[in-house]
Amino acid sequence: MATIIIDCKTYEVPLGKNVLETCLNLGFDVPYFCWHPGLGSVGACRQCAVKVFKDADDKKGRLVMSCMEPVVHNQHLAVHDADTIDFRKQVIEWLMTNHPHDCAVCDEGGSCHLQDMTVMTGHHERRFTFNKRTYKNQDLGPFLNHEMNRCIQCYRCVRFYKDYAGGKDLDAYASKNNVYFGRAEDGVLENEFSGNLAEICPTGVFTDKTLKEHYTRKWDLTMSPSICQHCSVGCNTIAGERYGALRMIHNRFHEKINGYFLCDRGRFGYEFVNAENRIKQPSINGDVVERTELETRLEKIMKSAKVIGIGSPRASLQSNFALKTLVGEDNFYHGVSDHEHDLAELAVRILKDGPVRTPSTKEIEKSDAIFVLGEDLTNTAPIVALAVRQAVRQDLSGEPEKIHIQGWQDAARKNLQQQRKMPLYSATIHETKLDDICTSANYATPEDIARLGFAVAHCVDHNSPAPEHFPEALQVRARSIANGLLAAKNPTIISGAGCASSAVMKAAANVAIALHKNGIVVGLTYTMLECNSMGLTMIGGHRLSAAFNAVINGHADTLILLENDLFRHGSFAEVGDFLARCKNVIVLDHTKSDSTDRASVVIPAGTFAESDGIIVNNEGRAQRFFQVYESTESIQESWRWIINIGKTLQHPKLQTWQNFEDISKAMASEEPMLQNIDEVNPAVDFRIVGQRIPREPHRFSGRTSMHAHIQVSEQKPPTDDDSPLSYTMEGTRIQPPSAMIPFYWSPGWNSVQSVAKYQHEVGGSLKDGDSGIRLLEANAASSLVYFQGIPEAFVPLEHHLWIVPTYHIFGSEEMSAKSASIQKRIPTPYLLISAVDANIYHLKEQDIIKVSIANISYSFPIKINRNIPVGMAALPYGLCDAPINALPEWGIVETSPLTELHDYVRKTKVQH
Amino acid sequence: MQLTNRSKLVVKKEMNFWERMYLPAILGGVMITIRHLFRRKSTVKYPEKTREISSIWRGQHVLKRDDKGAERCTACGLCAVACPAEAITMTAAERKKGEENLYREEKYASTYEINMLRCIFCGLCEEACPKEAIFLTDRIVTTDYSRTGFVYGKDKLVEKVDDRIDVTKRQTLAVQEFKQQKQLSHNK
Ligand code: SF4
Ligand code: SF4
Ligand code: SF4
Ligand code: SF4
Ligand code: FES
Repeated sequence: MATIIIDCKTYEVPLGKNVLETCLNLGFDVPYFCWHPGLGSVGACRQCAVKVFKDADDKKGRLVMSCMEPVVHNQHLAVHDADTIDFRKQVIEWLMTNHPHDCAVCDEGGSCHLQDMTVMTGHHERRFTFNKRTYKNQDLGPFLNHEMNRCIQCYRCVRFYKDYAGGKDLDAYASKNNVYFGRAEDGVLENEFSGNLAEICPTGVFTDKTLKEHYTRKWDLTMSPSICQHCSVGCNTIAGERYGALRMIHNRFHEKINGYFLCDRGRFGYEFVNAENRIKQPSINGDVVERTELETRLEKIMKSAKVIGIGSPRASLQSNFALKTLVGEDNFYHGVSDHEHDLAELAVRILKDGPVRTPSTKEIEKSDAIFVLGEDLTNTAPIVALAVRQAVRQDLSGEPEKIHIQGWQDAARKNLQQQRKMPLYSATIHETKLDDICTSANYATPEDIARLGFAVAHCVDHNSPAPEHFPEALQVRARSIANGLLAAKNPTIISGAGCASSAVMKAAANVAIALHKNGIVVGLTYTMLECNSMGLTMIGGHRLSAAFNAVINGHADTLILLENDLFRHGSFAEVGDFLARCKNVIVLDHTKSDSTDRASVVIPAGTFAESDGIIVNNEGRAQRFFQVYESTESIQESWRWIINIGKTLQHPKLQTWQNFEDISKAMASEEPMLQNIDEVNPAVDFRIVGQRIPREPHRFSGRTSMHAHIQVSEQKPPTDDDSPLSYTMEGTRIQPPSAMIPFYWSPGWNSVQSVAKYQHEVGGSLKDGDSGIRLLEANAASSLVYFQGIPEAFVPLEHHLWIVPTYHIFGSEEMSAKSASIQKRIPTPYLLISAVDANIYHLKEQDIIKVSIANISYSFPIKINRNIPVGMAALPYGLCDAPINALPEWGIVETSPLTELHDYVRKTKVQH
Repeated sequence: MQLTNRSKLVVKKEMNFWERMYLPAILGGVMITIRHLFRRKSTVKYPEKTREISSIWRGQHVLKRDDKGAERCTACGLCAVACPAEAITMTAAERKKGEENLYREEKYASTYEINMLRCIFCGLCEEACPKEAIFLTDRIVTTDYSRTGFVYGKDKLVEKVDDRIDVTKRQTLAVQEFKQQKQLSHNK
C-alpha cells in the first residue's frame, strides 16, 4: 500500500498500478482513450494528463500522462487543477478538429466514449473552421461497419486485433494527420474476435453491422443479462430488444469467463431469433391450431400413449428437467449421439471424481504452460483460444520486474519480451489458428494424438501406462513436452469432445493426473460440443439408441422431443425411421428443422431471448440467462409448456409448479449433481430497497407511442414472475447482483467503459463477485486411477479414408448457422485430405471425391492440406448432411477421379 | 371523527309537498339557462371562426425537408428521449445508394410516429432536434372519430415537397440567432 495525495486529500492505495487506474478506482473521472484495462497503457492519446508535484512544497508541478505514471509512495497529484483541466480540454479539441459533427447519424451515439470524454472535459464549442480530413471507408464483411472519419488515432483497435487476438489483417497505415486504420484492401476481417472492435474502439469507426440493419439506440433497448448459447464456454452477454425483435448482443463482463470480450459467433449468431423460419404458432399435422385445441389434443394423446422424452444439450436445465419429470426418469433419453453422450459422461466423471480441478478461462489465461490435445480451440471454444493466446503472451521470465517494468506497461513489456513466450504444445488433426504461437504443433490422427498424450503422461509419471511400439522420434517429442509441463507451476491441459475420441480425453486426464501426482497445480479443461452438454449430462438420462430400441420394441409409441433436431445426432435413415415409427411425435422447438417437419404436433418454444433458464458451461459453472422480452405470439419457454401439459394431465409434481423458481427448487432437491442450483441467482422476490431491477435504461423513450398502432391506450407492461427484473424503466438504480446486471451505465459514462464503475477496481471482478455456481470441483480423495486402453497406432488402409470431424466457428453450431450475417461466413462443405491422398486418387483442389460412409455414398469437393496425416480425412461438422455423429468412421473411397460437379449431391444448408 | 372545521353534517330530512312537486327547482334551472342566452359567449364557433393565436403557438408538428426536398430527420432519437410524454417513436434505416435526394443524412427514419393523444405540445422535441427536422407549427391538430387516427405517422408529419410549411415566422429573433450560430459549426 502507498499513501498518495490527490488534490490535497490523502488516500491509501495499492502499489503496482498506474495513476490513471488508481484515480478511476478512487472515483475521479479522468478522461482517457488509449488505455484499456484489458490492453494496458501506451500513452498514445495524451488525454489522461494529471499533474505530479515533487513534494508538498512544489507549487508548479509537471504534467504527466496518468496512464504511464506508476503510483509511488507519498506522491502528490492534482487532477482538477487549472493547468490540467486546460490541457485536457486542448487535447480533446485537437482530436475533435478532424472528427465529424455527426453524433446524430452515428451508431455509437449515446454509448460513445468519445462523447462522454468530450462532455467530461468541457469542450463544447468548435473553433476549427477549416476543412476536415476525410477518408474512404472499407467494406469489412458482414460483421463490422467502417467509418474512418470518426477515428481519433488511439490505436486501441490494432493493439487489440493484432497483439491481443492475433489477427493479421488490420493495421495502421500512413502518417501524421492521415493515419488510417483498416485492411490493406477491402475485404472480410478474418479474425474470429473482430466484433470486439465495436466495443474496443472508443468512437464510431467500427460499429456492429447487424445492429445497423435494425438500428436502435442503446437507451431504447430492453436489455437482459444473458448467456451465450453458441458453444460450451458460456460467455456472459447482454441481449437487447425493441419492437419484439432481438437487436444486438454485447459483452457482459465476467472476470472468470470472457472478461471484456466475445467471439464473433457469440456476438453475431443471435439473428436466428428474428429469422423467418421461427415457429410462432402451435400446429397439428401442419395446421395452425388454437391453444385450447392443442391442449385437448395433447391430453388425448398423452392419456392413452406410452410416452418417452428426448432432451437436448441446447435446452436449459429447467426444460430438460421438466421433461424428465413429465415422462419419468426411465423414459428420459439424451438427444445426442451415443458417442457424444459417452464423451460428455466421461468428462463429467473425470472432473467430478478426479483429483484435478477444471480451471476457469481466466485461470487458463494465467497458466504458464499449456498442452492442447485434439481440440481446434478457435473453432470449438473460441474464447478459450483467446485465453490460451494471452497465456502464451505472458512474460514470466522475471526480466520486466528486474528493470521495474509493470504489467500494464504494454509497449515496454513487448519490447523487452520480443519473441519470448510461454510454452504451448498442441496435437491436433490439422493446423489451427493457434499454431503461430505454438512451441510445438503436432498433427496426427485422434489415435496418435491419444498415444502422444499417453506417452507424455508416462514421461511425467512412470506409473502411467506407456503406448507400445512408440517411435523414438515421437518419444523425444513426448519427453520434451513432459519436461516443459514439469517445469511449469500451473500448467493447463486442454482437450474435449472435438475429435470425438474418448482415448484423447483419457490421455489428457492421464497427463493431468500425472502432473498432479508430481505436486504440480494443474488444470484440466474439456470443451464440449453444445452450450448445455455438461448440464444435460448432470441431469442424467439414457442413451439415444435406447430410445430407438424402445420404440422398435413397442415399449413406447409417442415421443416428446425437446428443442432438438435429431437428424444432427443420428444418421438420416435411422432417425427418419425412428420418427416414422412413433405414432405421435410432439416437438417443442423454436426453429423449423428436419425434425419439426416430421412432427405431428409442433409447439412453439422460446429461444434464449424469450426464456429463462440455467445452463452449465464446460467449467461446470451453472449460469442463469434471463428472458429479454415476452413474446406476443404463443411462444413460451419449453418448461412452461411442459408444466402446462403436466397440469392438464394432473401430474402430481408438475401440477404444483408455478414458475421458474419452483422447478429450480425441485431440481435442487431431486438431482444429486445439481444440489444448489436454486442458488444460482437471488430469489424471485429479491428486491433492492423494495424495487425491481429495470431492464430498460432511465432514458428509454416512446413507451406511450411504440405500441400505439396496436392499442392507443398504454398497456400495463408484463410482470415477470420468474425473476426480480422488470420490463420497464422504473426500478432501482443501485448496482444489482452480478448475475442480474442488465446493462452498464453510470452518470457521465454512457459507453461500455462504464463497466469500470461496476467493478471492485477497474479491470477486476464485479463488486458483487463472479456470478454462477461451480458444480465440478476436484476430488481430493480421488480414487481415479490412470486410464488404460491405449489405442493402436493409426495405419492407413488401402482405398479407405479414416474420416474425423473438424469444426468451423461459423457453421458448425446449429443455431448461429441460421443467423444471416454468420451465413455469409460459412464455408462450402468439403473434405479435407492430405496431398498424398489427393495424388493417389488423382484429385486437384475442389475436385469431387466419392466416399461411402456406413454404406451410404457421399460426394464432396476436396481441400488439400499439407499437414493432415495420410489416410485420414476431416469433414466439417454441421455443414453437410453426412452422418457427422457417427464419426470417426472408415470411408470407402469410390472415386473415379474428375466427377462432374452437378453429379455431386449434397443438401447444402446454406444458400450462397 | 371531525377532520376539519369546514365539514357540515348532512341530515336527510323528509321533503315537503312543494319540494316533492320539483316544479320550483325545474323553473330555477330554466331561469339560469335563459339568463345565459343573453350573456357574452365564452366559446368560439370553430371551425367557422378561429381564435387568435400567438406567433409562437405550438401546434401540430412538421417534419421538414431541406431546400432540395430531402427529409432532414436522421432518426437520432433525441426528440423521443426529450419528450416528457414519451409520445414519439421511430425506426431507423440506412439510406441506400440513389436515395440521396430523399434523405439528407445516411440514416433516416423509416417510420416516425407521434401519439397526439399523449403529446402535450411542450416543444421539447423541437428544441432537442440537432438536424432542424422537427418543428411545432401554428396548425391545429384536427379531431378524429377514432383514437387510432391520432397516431400520426410520416404521412401526416412530413411536409409535402410541393406544399412547404414555413416555420421561420413563428420563431423569435433570439431563437433564430441561436440557430444561426449552430449552423456555423455544423457539418463542416
Ligand atoms: S479506429 Fe477507433 S480504436 Fe482504432 S485508432 Fe481510431 S478511434 Fe482508436
Ligand atoms: S460462442 Fe462460445 S466463445 Fe463465443 S461468445 Fe459464445 S460462449 Fe463465448
Ligand atoms: S411537443 Fe413535447 S410532448 Fe409533444 S411530441 Fe414534442 S416533446 Fe413530446
Ligand atoms: S426529428 Fe430531429 S431529433 Fe428527432 S430523430 Fe429526427 S433528427 Fe433526431
Ligand atoms: S489514456 Fe493515457 S495517454 Fe491515452
